[in-house]
Amino acid sequence: MTDQPLPRPLALLAEVTYRCPLQCPYCSNPLELAKYRDELDTETWARVFRQAAELGVVQLHLSGGEPLVRRDILELVREASEAGLYTNMSTGATVVDETRIEQLRAAGLDHFQVSLLDTLPESNDRLAGAPSFEKKEAAVLAAKRLGFPVTLNVVLHRQNLDRIADVIALAQQWRVDRLELAHTQYTGWAFRNRAALMPTRAQLAAAHREVERVRAEGTRGVDILHVLPDYYFEDFPKACLQGWGMVSLSVAPDGYVLPCQTAREIPGLEFPNVRDHTLQEIWEQAPVFRRFRGTDWLPEPCQSCERRDIDFGGCRCQAFLMTGDASATDPVCSRSPQHHLVEVALQEANQTPPPLQYRVMSVTR
Amino acid sequence: MTRQRPVTVPILAPGTRYRWDKVREQHQLVFPEGMIVLDEPGKAIVQLCDGRTTDEVVATLKQTYPGSEPTDDVYEFLQQLVGRGLIREGALGD
Repeated sequence: MTDQPLPRPLALLAEVTYRCPLQCPYCSNPLELAKYRDELDTETWARVFRQAAELGVVQLHLSGGEPLVRRDILELVREASEAGLYTNMSTGATVVDETRIEQLRAAGLDHFQVSLLDTLPESNDRLAGAPSFEKKEAAVLAAKRLGFPVTLNVVLHRQNLDRIADVIALAQQWRVDRLELAHTQYTGWAFRNRAALMPTRAQLAAAHREVERVRAEGTRGVDILHVLPDYYFEDFPKACLQGWGMVSLSVAPDGYVLPCQTAREIPGLEFPNVRDHTLQEIWEQAPVFRRFRGTDWLPEPCQSCERRDIDFGGCRCQAFLMTGDASATDPVCSRSPQHHLVEVALQEANQTPPPLQYRVMSVTR
Repeated sequence: MTRQRPVTVPILAPGTRYRWDKVREQHQLVFPEGMIVLDEPGKAIVQLCDGRTTDEVVATLKQTYPGSEPTDDVYEFLQQLVGRGLIREGALGD
């Protein structure tokens, strides 16, 4: 790697709690949720937000778990806004009413992102493990009435992909500003449920055609972001995080700082904590941030690949989960010596899906 | 070449706002999940998108920078931002 100055991060993901009333089977939170119950207090989060702004962070994503279960959520939004951060919230929107949304706006929240699991209420509620469709609908409509920019985020998989046209129609009906159609990323709970979530090639092709048809006809005011599934569509892996420790960082509910929210899945990494160090110290010096930063660490075939500086070898968590080695080439890459593992995963889509294992707080075996 | 005026009253889309980045010493236009860096003329235009018409934006810039002919630049800049969904038509009944 050439001696370029270390870039400053643009985005901070603040997972303010892992607590959540929903049990989505593709949640990106760690499997052993019960291990991480010691949440940072208000003042520590406020300090983290100020340090983030000083470090150069522009976008803050308040997430979880469900950020709205924090009793101090309005104070957290206010602190973030006063620190000068552009403040987004990713929420399941099941524990919020119009008054609370208005308070969030007054506290300085810039953008409201609501997850929806399916367009069929009974399917949404089954996937979420809790009645939630009607609450989500009410929250989106209330946020729009109050003039909030709203993004609807729908994670796509085998069990809802056939309704992609309905998803787009619902987003238009609710007049959201943006629709994020995100295919499941197979880390966290989603990796455990991969066989139940992996769509077939035929499903994907039909969904892709549908999105293109809507785009050609005009999306009626809804900006559609379509994130394709890398298992199927790509010869090369995604540039995960735009490079490890290059653009963004995550702070977990208990204050541990991660280059990526799912990095806890990789064994042997030691994470620093905001209780002990400033964000700047962590960003610049923590070994875990330097571990996969840049391209020096890359194995072959990445090291001599012309795409080395484009995708940085792909996703570290995916490489670990599929190969057992976090420093391997992401198997999604067609040049990976372990690319056959992706083919094996795709076969799962042609089999009867096993039952979903829902995200739960207790440790399950 | 004379361009078409892209909007009558340019207003920032919901969730889009100007921000001075004191760390990078940059003018930024920030929006959900993204950000663009503005140059000085871009920043001057964005800060005038406060409910006045495009014609008034041009007139104000002419006053601020005597001898300049900003019309085409303003139209082109606004057209780009309209294309990215960051500027919308704010004229009523339009």
